[in-house]
Amino acid sequence: MNTNSQQRVIKVIADVLNRNESEIGLDASLNDDLRASSLDQMALYIALEDEFQRNMPPEEVTELRTVKAIIDFIDKKLHESSPA
Amino acid sequence: MSRRVVITGAGVVSSIGVGVDDFWRHCLDGESNVAPVPARWQNYAELHSRIWSPLPDIDPESFGIGRTERLQLDPVSVLALGAAREAIERAGFILEPVEGRTRAFRLCGADGARTGVYLGTGLGGAITFLQNHTFHLMKKPRAALMSYMEEHSSTRDRTVLETILELMTHGLRFNPFEVSMVMPNAPAATIGIKFSLMGPNETHCVACASGTVAIGNAYRAVRDGRVDVAVSGGCEYFGDDHGHIFRSFDASGTLVRDCASPETANRPFDERRSGFLFSQGGAAILVLEDLEHARRRNATIMAELIGFAETFDAYSIMSLGPGGEQIERMIRGALADAGLSSSDVDYVNAHGTGTKNNDEIETSVIKRVFGHSVRVNSTKSLLGHTIGASGAFEILVTALSLRDGTTHICRNLETPVHDLNFVRRVEQCDLRVGLSQSFAFGGHNAAVVLRRLS
Repeated sequence: MNTNSQQRVIKVIADVLNRNESEIGLDASLNDDLRASSLDQMALYIALEDEFQRNMPPEEVTELRTVKAIIDFIDKKLHESSPA
Repeated sequence: MSRRVVITGAGVVSSIGVGVDDFWRHCLDGESNVAPVPARWQNYAELHSRIWSPLPDIDPESFGIGRTERLQLDPVSVLALGAAREAIERAGFILEPVEGRTRAFRLCGADGARTGVYLGTGLGGAITFLQNHTFHLMKKPRAALMSYMEEHSSTRDRTVLETILELMTHGLRFNPFEVSMVMPNAPAATIGIKFSLMGPNETHCVACASGTVAIGNAYRAVRDGRVDVAVSGGCEYFGDDHGHIFRSFDASGTLVRDCASPETANRPFDERRSGFLFSQGGAAILVLEDLEHARRRNATIMAELIGFAETFDAYSIMSLGPGGEQIERMIRGALADAGLSSSDVDYVNAHGTGTKNNDEIETSVIKRVFGHSVRVNSTKSLLGHTIGASGAFEILVTALSLRDGTTHICRNLETPVHDLNFVRRVEQCDLRVGLSQSFAFGGHNAAVVLRRLS
């Protein structure tokens, strides 16, 4: 797991969900622990797209349940392609 | 219940300045921001007009808008929020953060339930629609063409394909918030949400008269006691990536054609006028308030609104009624609403687009109603045409002119189309009553009458 992308993902999640970064654990689930609504999750993915300049189509991100899963997904995207 | 209505705050985002002080100083200096249209626009169309009035670079953070908000707002709402925040703060309302809501405020000194929002816009969030549509159309064909190029093309083909791919460029995403970004009521709703304003929240889509109609309705709401405070004005944003909106106006033959000398091409009321200067957009927002409410707060008063009227040409969707009868009826209606006669008016901020038809008809009506002595200028000679925001800019200029006893020149006016008292130099004068008027595609006419508050 890339430490830099981990920090950036947590910062974006904290910003979108209006929480402190310390509340965003790696194993936290978006739905149950962070109580992110479907609108929150839409906002989160466009903010992550903006942060990492990678396209994150809904069909690819709907199965991401935890913070760690999002970080792994971002790392994979960063490894696979140059900025969109 | 009839109350007196005053302007206690204003905010501006414009091509000649962000913030009222900067804007007004540049108005009085007769400045205009004119530039060639982006070169890439000409890859898509043969444009007849080649100049526009672009906005300065704007950082939404400077308006208190963070990334999460920005990504869910069309630029038109960002402009409206920026101008609204300035207007509210200049009116003297302290913004108190709302607990549990990110970057949301309530106004100390105003009852949110007695405060309304009345906003005008021509096309609302059209840019988001165009950007999403481009993504919708181009994403898959462009990706397919890129794959083909990688697998099949020779070096010679690559150059051609790369040129085509460049023309097919689209944004990063299909924004899932499109519906709430595009809807014309989004800027007004965004202001209401941001500042916890729970009174009526209205959007007036009346093309080039939108700002004037919005402020007119806000005036009536305060006058009739439906609200104590109204945040009101106009906003527009037309800077799409491919020049589509510019092309729409260009194709209809409304934009300035004679672009050989960009600085002097925009010349409302001049014999050599050739159309209006397209603006990237802007926002002008006012705070209107019941006079007694304002006095209880010791608010600084810019001017008083005393009359409003609307008429409709019922003639053509794009052209003014040839005799200007409905414009005249509108002016006389606004004066009757204000309890004044035409001889009481010292200053007319004209619609003044610089199109052949508008300026010919408008000047003949002004001459018929007011005679030769009333001062006349066109704020569009400085800003170009901001469509749904234009009326709000012009009402603000009228209020500032009454407050300061001076107004800006009619820029680039050399040979006037009619013998009227056009403002040719900035000087102190006794301006007590002003009228600002707007006409719009569709056939809408609207005017607001203002008075200096002694």
